[in-house]
Formats: sequence, C-alpha cells, structure tokens
Amino acid sequence: MSAADLARIQFAATTGIHWLFVILTMGLVPLVAVMHTRAAFTRDPVRRAVRERMTRFWGQLYVINYAVGIVTGLVMEFQFGLSWSGLSKFAGNVFGAPLALETLIAFFAESTFLGMWIFGWGRLRSGVHLTLIWLVALTAYVSAYWIMIANGFMQHPVGYEVRDGAAYLTDFGALLSNSSALVALAHVTLAALTTGGVFVAGVSAYHFLRRTTETALFRSSLRLGLWMAAISSFFVVVVGEMQRPVIERTQPMKDAVLDGSGVAEAQARLVREHGPGDYVPWQDTLRISMDVMTIIGNTVSTLTLVAAVLLWKDWLLRRRAALYVLVATVPFPFVASVGGWVVREVGRQPWLVYGQLTVEDAFSGVSTATVAVSCAVFVAVFAALAVTNWTLITRFARRGPDATQLGATEPLPPAAPLAGTAALVTER
Amino acid sequence: MTGKLSEMSLQTLWLALLGLLLAGYFVLGGYDYGVQMLHGRLGGDEEGGDGGNGGNRGSGGSGAVGGPTGRNGALDAIAPFFLGNEVWLVAFTGVLFGAFPHLEGTLLSGLYPLIVAILVGLVLGNAAVQLRGRARGARARRVWSALIVFGGALPALCWGLVLGLLLHGVPRRADGGFRIGPGAVFSPFVSACGATTLFLFAAHGAGFVALRSAPHLAARAHRVGARLLRGAAAAGSLALLLTLFGAGASMTNRTTSAVVAALLLSAFAAAWWSFARGHRVRAFAATCCATALPVLLVGAGHYPYLLISSAGQGLDIGHAVTDAATLRILSGFGVLVVPLILAYQSWSWWAFRGRTGRRHPSYF
Repeated sequence: MSAADLARIQFAATTGIHWLFVILTMGLVPLVAVMHTRAAFTRDPVRRAVRERMTRFWGQLYVINYAVGIVTGLVMEFQFGLSWSGLSKFAGNVFGAPLALETLIAFFAESTFLGMWIFGWGRLRSGVHLTLIWLVALTAYVSAYWIMIANGFMQHPVGYEVRDGAAYLTDFGALLSNSSALVALAHVTLAALTTGGVFVAGVSAYHFLRRTTETALFRSSLRLGLWMAAISSFFVVVVGEMQRPVIERTQPMKDAVLDGSGVAEAQARLVREHGPGDYVPWQDTLRISMDVMTIIGNTVSTLTLVAAVLLWKDWLLRRRAALYVLVATVPFPFVASVGGWVVREVGRQPWLVYGQLTVEDAFSGVSTATVAVSCAVFVAVFAALAVTNWTLITRFARRGPDATQLGATEPLPPAAPLAGTAALVTER
Repeated sequence: MTGKLSEMSLQTLWLALLGLLLAGYFVLGGYDYGVQMLHGRLGGDEEGGDGGNGGNRGSGGSGAVGGPTGRNGALDAIAPFFLGNEVWLVAFTGVLFGAFPHLEGTLLSGLYPLIVAILVGLVLGNAAVQLRGRARGARARRVWSALIVFGGALPALCWGLVLGLLLHGVPRRADGGFRIGPGAVFSPFVSACGATTLFLFAAHGAGFVALRSAPHLAARAHRVGARLLRGAAAAGSLALLLTLFGAGASMTNRTTSAVVAALLLSAFAAAWWSFARGHRVRAFAATCCATALPVLLVGAGHYPYLLISSAGQGLDIGHAVTDAATLRILSGFGVLVVPLILAYQSWSWWAFRGRTGRRHPSYF
C-alpha cells in the first residue's frame, strides 16, 4: 500500500469517526436547548423540576458524546497540513479562509460556551445559562456552514481563478453561496435532527420497556424526539433528492455512477479534458451506500411518522413491540449518514478539488513508514475512544436521570480532601 | 506605495494575531497540561487531610465519599475553562491555514512526527479529562488518570521541541519543504527546549492550582511549583548556554532576541521568587509571561522570516501569506470577531473566578 493510500485511510478514519459523533452533537443540541427553555419558563415547581432533570439527563448524554467530537475535530484541523500540503499549495488562498473563519466565528464560541453551560448550573443566572445553550446550538450550525463551504469548494470549486498553478479567490460571494455546499448543508442538518430525534425517542422507549417511574419525563422526551424525527426525516429524503440535479450539473461522473449508466462516456469526457487517467470512483461502494441511505431514510421516515401518530392517548406506550422497534431504530440513522458521507466523498474521487487537483497530487510526500505508524496509532486511538464513548453513552442512557452527574449541585462531602473546605464546614 | 505599505502592515497584523493565538494557547493550554501532569499529586484524591488533619479523615466514614466520586481538586480548578482553552490551538491552526497557507502545509508536514505526537497526546488527554468522571470504579479511573498525565506531558514536551526546531532552523530543501529526523529532534539544544517547556508548563499548572484552590492545597502547589521552576530554569539555561556557544538558536534579529530572552529570564526569576514567598497571583502572572514569551521570541526574533533554514533560504512572511484579496476579506471578519472572542473568553474567566469549593458544580 502506498503512503498516499495510508494517508487516505488516516484521513477517512478521522473524518468518519468525527462525523459519527458530530451528527449526534448537532442532533441533540437543539433538543437539549428546547428542553432547557421549557424548564426555564415553567412556573410550577414540580413540573419545573421534572423538566430540569430532563435537560440534565439529555444534556449529559450530549456532553459525553461531544468529548469525542471535539478531539477528533482537533485532529481534523491538522490533517490537511500533515498529509495534504498540496492542497494548501494549490488552494490555500481560497480553501483556508472558510476554515479560519469556522474556528474564529464558530468553534471558539461553541467550546467556550459549552464549558460555561456545563459548569454554570446553580452558578450563573437562569437566563444567562439558558442563553448559553442556545449559543452553543447556534454556533454548532454556523460551524457546519463554514465546513460545508470548505467542503463545497472541494466538490464544486467556485469563485476563484487559477494563475501560475495556484487558485486565487475572485468572488467571495460565489464561494459562500455555492449550491453544492448549501443543499448539502440542509441535507446534513435534517439528517442530524433525524438522528438526534430517533436517539431521544429510542432511549425514552427503552425506559418505558423497563417500566420506568419517570413517566412524565420520558413521555415528554419521547414526544419531542419522535416529532422532531418524523418531520426532519420526511424532509431529509426530499432535500436529498434535491441534490441530484446539483450533482448532475457539477459532478457528471458521480451522477453517471449513481444512475448506473453513462460511466464510460463520462470517463472519456474527463480523459479529453484532463488527460489520461482513471476517473471512475468505486462504483459498487457508491451504489450500495446510496441504496442503504435511501432505504434507511424512507423506513425511518415512515416508522417515526406512524409512531408519532400513535402517541395519541399514549397508545404507543402500551405496545411493547412498537417500543422495541423504536429502540432498535437508534443505530440506523448513523449507518445512513455514513452512507451519505461515502456517496459525497468517495464519489468525488480521484479529485481533491473537483476537476483541479487530484488526491494523489496533493499528498505531502511523507515517508510510507511514518504514515503507517501514524495511521495505525490514530485508527487504534479513535476506534478505542469511539467504543469507550458509546459504552459510556449507553451506560448513562440506561441508568436514567437518577445517575446524572451533569449539574448535580450536591455540596462537597464534608470530609472532602480539601482541608480548607473542611475548615469551612467546621466553622459553621 | 501606500497600498503596498498597508498590505505589508496587514500581513504583520495577521502574524501578530497568529502569535497571540499561539501565545494564548501556551498560557491557557499550558496550565491545563501542567495540572494534568500534577493532578495525581495536587488533586488530593487519596491523600486527603494530610498534615495533622486526622480527625477530618475519620469523620463518619465520609472520607469514602471523596474516594468513589473521585473528585480531584486540581482538575476542578481547570474544569470550567478546559473546553475554552483547547480551542485557542484550533483557532491558531485555522488562522495558520487561512492567512498563511504556504507556511501551514510546509510546517505541519515537515514536523509530521512531532505534530502527530502532540495530537495523540491531546486526543487522549482531552478525552480522558472529560470522561474520567464517568468511570464506574477506581480501576477505570486510574486508567483515565494515567491518560490524563500522558496527555499533559507529551504535548508539553513536544511543543518545546517544536519551538527549539523553529529557533534553530530546519533543513529546507530546494522545493521549500523539509523533513525532520530524530537527529534534529534529539539534538542537545532542541531537547533542552523540550525539557524547559515540560517543566515550565508543569510549574505553570501548579501556579494555577495555587490560584484557584483552598489554602492548604495552594501551599502544597507553591512548593511543587518552585521545585519545577528550578528544573525549567536549569533546562532553559542549558539552551541559552548552547546558543551562546553557537550550538543552539541562530536568531535573525540578535538585539530583539536578546531583549525577549532577558524578559523571559526575568519572568522565570519573578515566578520563582513569588512561589517561594507564596504570592499566588504574582507567581501565576509570572508563569503566564514565561509561557507566552517563547512565542514572541520565535516571531520577533526571526521576523520577517517565519521559518529559517539551517541550510539555505528561509520562508519569509511575504511568501507564506495568503493572497491580498483573501487577506482583506479575512480582515473584515477579524476586526469584528477577534474582540468578540477576547470579550467572551474574559467573561468566562470572570464568571468562574475565585477559588473552587462548594458553589462550583463538579463534572469532570
């Protein structure tokens, strides 16, 4: 295997694992924000307490998930420079700007505000604390926008001209309104909301199967999750279809492969335009991923809509089979989202910047041994972290609201190791 | 003429912002790493109530409460800032790519093994800090704790090595790229720089624990900090001596570098003096300067070069910077966003000011 292939695996592993956590982050954060808002605006102390527990329970699952999202995101930021310095040589003038703006405008704020939200329980004023989670939600989506702008440039470069073998930004507005980025952003957003909704509905259904005593809490989150999933999964299919005309216009080869016809013509055309080479991405992988995504999308859409209707008069809660189905649905949006990622990124091959720079040409030329070591280390670390993290999410999801640590405002135990605290207690 | 001039000053401003972000990361991430390295010693997890506080430990078996919950005083100190600190590095990388793309590709791929080591340390340490509190038993917590220490020490060491290489120069090839080998990384000067940041970040972390913790823990942190600072000063002096004998840094601007190095030395001295006398604010302020100044040393000491080469031509700012049109667009955003970032970061420091204790919800 060549060094470039290893670097490819390293990049794909980082992005793929990052994506699996990011999609739940993006799906959960608006739900947590809605729950927090409802808690903050409830007067009745009993109902307010339930809603606060609800916010903390789902908030903790979100925060556990965020841990792997942020660390893989950190590595993502470096991956381009590490292995693909050809990208910064050719497109640095254009491609670097959205990445820089993403970190400065969005990632910086998201992380700072999340830290404040986690530790703000009982310490910050209620309105300020609530604003923080909405800011976290907002910046998560602003971040997605800038990343999709960068990715959109790779898929369908716009707003630039090439002089002396390097791209120069000529039209910032065109870069920011790249159709390939915007339609994909809408699709990704809806996919994330579906994933978050199905996750919340599935975990809630699990607690009803276990005959939870927290019926008020889980009935409310089941309702919220199901409606969110039913609505977004309907539109995720619709918007997904809207991408096809964009692909047809911008990436003829991907379109031909997905259609299953005209691949040879597309290959001949690309050879005419860019010289000899193999311009056909892995056809079977692409088609299977597309089918998996489509089937899951339609199934989840139907299931969640039916389940949402069955919420009427708690009918759903009395049908254990239906609850089992909801629990079993949780992993499928993740599988579908990986399918979507494969269609978009494998379907782009062999190009890094479509029609301008191939992945092969962008490789840094680091030695095979070095990349092999780093690839093995990264893949092992990320796989271990992913498995550990999902184990933790499952454990805390199953334990229910009683085990929530987030925002637990219990005082330090009297004999806490800090002597100063102990002195404080004695003084009282 | 003025157009050319303002373009140059715009480039310099972005270089200053890049330096600010890296220095901010060294100061903020630096105490995170220090606290991570020391959290076993300064956390007070197992050794609660030492120093004649026996009655404290025995009070109704509640000592066992501290054990299973695994609260750690040192990690509590960094907790509310932890997520906001790491992003300074992400922002640094983002600006490096956006404003200086031609440095980004060369630098990161050239330093490949070191960058990978830093990232592995960051990933493991960062995840471990966030997930340690979720562990069920003491054994799982010990594994997370070991990762927390590893994830603090490895980046602290490797950033020193990176600084050492940048001060000394890298072997650039004709195409502008370079590769570092073990010979360059483990040269006496570069190793001494690595040891300096390792000890310095640890001392800086001790200073932060002293600043935020209850008096008893603060006093212990001061003692540890003073010892670590002696180690940092020893390693730093070795690097300085090697430079004076021609086997270390080869600075482009000798006078500026001498001034910054002198400032760095005074920061070390002030920190040591304050640690020894128990001035917690002054000690932390001094270690903040000591962690930030190396960035100024690399930036101002080599300006206009961003990368100097031990053999041949260095990479200057004009060749590293992005196209003027892109830089103007970035500047439009930067004018709005950078003050905003500084404002909300300061707000988060203000909101969680004061010593840790009963009013702080614990999570990490």
